[in-house]
Amino acid sequence: MSFERITNETQKTNALAPVLAGVIRITSDAVDMELLNAFEDLQSDDGSDLIVELIDLYLKDASQRVLAIREAALANDWVLLKQVIHNLKGSSASLGVRQVAQTCKMLEEIECDRSPEGFGELLQQMNSEFARASEALLSERQRRLQ
Amino acid sequence: MLPDRSRVSKRVLVADDDPVMRHLITTIIQQQEHEAVVANDGRAAYRILQSDSDFKAAILDMTMPFLEGLDLIRFMRSEKRLMRIPIMMITAEQDIKLMASSFSAGATAFLPKTFTPEQLQSAIRMLLATRRSSRIAA
Repeated sequence: MSFERITNETQKTNALAPVLAGVIRITSDAVDMELLNAFEDLQSDDGSDLIVELIDLYLKDASQRVLAIREAALANDWVLLKQVIHNLKGSSASLGVRQVAQTCKMLEEIECDRSPEGFGELLQQMNSEFARASEALLSERQRRLQ
Repeated sequence: MLPDRSRVSKRVLVADDDPVMRHLITTIIQQQEHEAVVANDGRAAYRILQSDSDFKAAILDMTMPFLEGLDLIRFMRSEKRLMRIPIMMITAEQDIKLMASSFSAGATAFLPKTFTPEQLQSAIRMLLATRRSSRIAA
């Protein structure tokens, strides 16, 4: 490899560094990987991967709950809405999906009928936090299966 | 199922509508050489308890569809055949009042989320080793 090529490759890598750092930061922000990976201590010897199983269960269940939240909000069913938000908060907290849990906590506290705009914004925030967390969890799942 | 008084039950009732928690708790219970009897909501747990009292312990989520954890505790404490079963309440709430109401309803242990796997493991270990009179705030 020529000097010029090496320099170009290095520059490319350097140019990507802040982007990659951003991705890593966002990923670790969305999911507390330390907490998630601590479940390794509960791993059994049967060859299964408990963390992969937990990720699969969470993603399936939480996706349904996110959908249920959207539907309950559209139907103005505040009781159901708060109940599903509470459930999503609990399952997210137990797997270290911090930002989703935190947004759910804020959604639980806000009076949706008195502040529909604020509630709508938080719902949007929850959706994007869930998308980020899903991405982080899927990439962790893929890493573990390799 | 009626308990055989001559042996100690190895069965634990787990009632939680969160599949992640159910899987986690069941894994820990099995590692501690016990059997988990799983209910997906409060009503399913209530139905099990109506005909089955052969449990070493019960682990209940506070907020569940149809019947809440607190109502289940009250039911268990009002039935002679269930009243000695140690109960651990798990909740996503951080409200200290809920811990007080759980204990006054008859809970043996209380575990608020978020917890580490180690904390969950020790809380379950303590619950399985506890007798009815003890109380644990994890």
